Amino acid sequence: MRSSLILGLVIAAAAVAQTYTPPRTADGQPDMQGMYSRNGVVGLEANPPENPIDPSDKNPLSVSARGDGLGPYPKIFQEGGSRIRQGRQQRRTGIVDPPDKKLPWRPEEDAKRRDFLLHMNPPADLRHVELNARCALPGLFQGEDGNNPYQFLQRAGEVVILYDYNHTTRVIHLDGRPHVGKNIRLFMGDSVGHWEGNTLTVDTTNFNGRVAYSREIPYLSDRLHTIERFTIVDANTVDYEVTIDDPVLFTKPWKVAGYFARSPKETQSLEFACAEGSQTLVNIFGKPPER
Amino acid sequence: MTHAIRLAALAALFWAGATRAAAQGKPDFSGIWQALNTAAWDLQDHAGALGLPPGQGVVDGNEIPYQPWALARKQENFAKRRAADPAEANCFLPGVPRATYMPYPFEIVQTPKLIAITYEFAHALREIPMDGSAHSDLTDTWMGDSRGRWDGTTLVVDVTNFNDQTWFDQAGNFHSDALHVTERYTLADRDHISYEATIEDPKVFTRPWKISMPLYRRVEKNGKLLEYECVFYLQEERFKKAPFK
Repeated sequence: MRSSLILGLVIAAAAVAQTYTPPRTADGQPDMQGMYSRNGVVGLEANPPENPIDPSDKNPLSVSARGDGLGPYPKIFQEGGSRIRQGRQQRRTGIVDPPDKKLPWRPEEDAKRRDFLLHMNPPADLRHVELNARCALPGLFQGEDGNNPYQFLQRAGEVVILYDYNHTTRVIHLDGRPHVGKNIRLFMGDSVGHWEGNTLTVDTTNFNGRVAYSREIPYLSDRLHTIERFTIVDANTVDYEVTIDDPVLFTKPWKVAGYFARSPKETQSLEFACAEGSQTLVNIFGKPPER
Repeated sequence: MTHAIRLAALAALFWAGATRAAAQGKPDFSGIWQALNTAAWDLQDHAGALGLPPGQGVVDGNEIPYQPWALARKQENFAKRRAADPAEANCFLPGVPRATYMPYPFEIVQTPKLIAITYEFAHALREIPMDGSAHSDLTDTWMGDSRGRWDGTTLVVDVTNFNDQTWFDQAGNFHSDALHVTERYTLADRDHISYEATIEDPKVFTRPWKISMPLYRRVEKNGKLLEYECVFYLQEERFKKAPFK
């Protein structure tokens, strides 16, 4: 009896969620503007390689274990992920297709990346330094779940995403333009989008073959093609799903999911200066010769 | 006579801008813009040299009113600029107003409560709240803390909370952490912004001074900002042969 009542409530809640009608922007887009935290997008595959870059105190190379007085990251860096309570709804997160999370690796490419990971800590050379440590643009996946907020802005013909993480901006054009020429390769790729109901679909190509999916998948190829779906679920939630099609590394596309949860009203984006204070490469490799 | 015609033309431009603003509430600065001058190399009048395009300055009266010690420091900066320029030689965030007139486009994304400006150089980003809020208490920033308001149809942006690390140009013009910048963006016509920035810094200058220049809309069809990942390129060059120890 009680369980069927709960089931009834769950169904009712789901029905409410489906009938949510977002406000409209001046040019008629469903309005999802505001500050959000991203959650659950970067998930582990089945049988992942061992994480080569353990940031914990146990790793003698991690920042937090350094003996040079720089010390660990201030705790405040880890506290930006607060969000409005989501209620009891479960959202899909991590790798959702295939359901068993066994990624369709081309065996020789899986072997290559496992070998690549072995040379990342300590990094054998510049190529093996993870890009976040180089203050590079993060690509679509490494902007961080939880910690650093994302802000959506919308204006006629564009959805713009401002990342707190490394002051990154994505401009998604909605005006039906084609992708940029194939010789233009970008960390963030070239994004064009359109709305279908309350879902923004974004098609991105022109990646530069450097950006990572996660610490275990340290690069995707320059033939990466992503299709992202941002679906407005309710006033505080945008569901997110990405199809990752990288024919160089994988035999078929796979999908990850996550969600954006609206941040409390007082949340502010602060300056994320990265390269300006970074001694990372000098600490790893020594000082380069004077120019 | 010429003067009167110029005034009439200015009045017509102003009227066109004002009409547009009236139709939409406030002028819309959204779009991709770029300066077309040599202020990035030197704010002041300068002749050409190898790698230095000549240019008429953008400083009102052409004089930057340095205190004596600061003028000496500027000259030191100039002498060591090839390695010491924070933006061009080290790829650091360029600060304000320098980000505006570097030879790279930037995009303004205007919404009623927030105006964002994203710059192609080093993917620098500014968020300009338009909600009347006070400056953040986070000081020591590279791009400053920006708060915007409307003065009629002019967007006025008050920028403070800077560090003392950025320069105004490749010639070594500099400031302290007491820098306070007031920018004024006025839409002269659909494709031109009249841009002014007043510079105040009592630790370095004897009085406030001002730069002004037009900004041009990038009108190319399908134009968009790309990536100038200065830091990444510099690392590729300097650490190409790493490790060094």
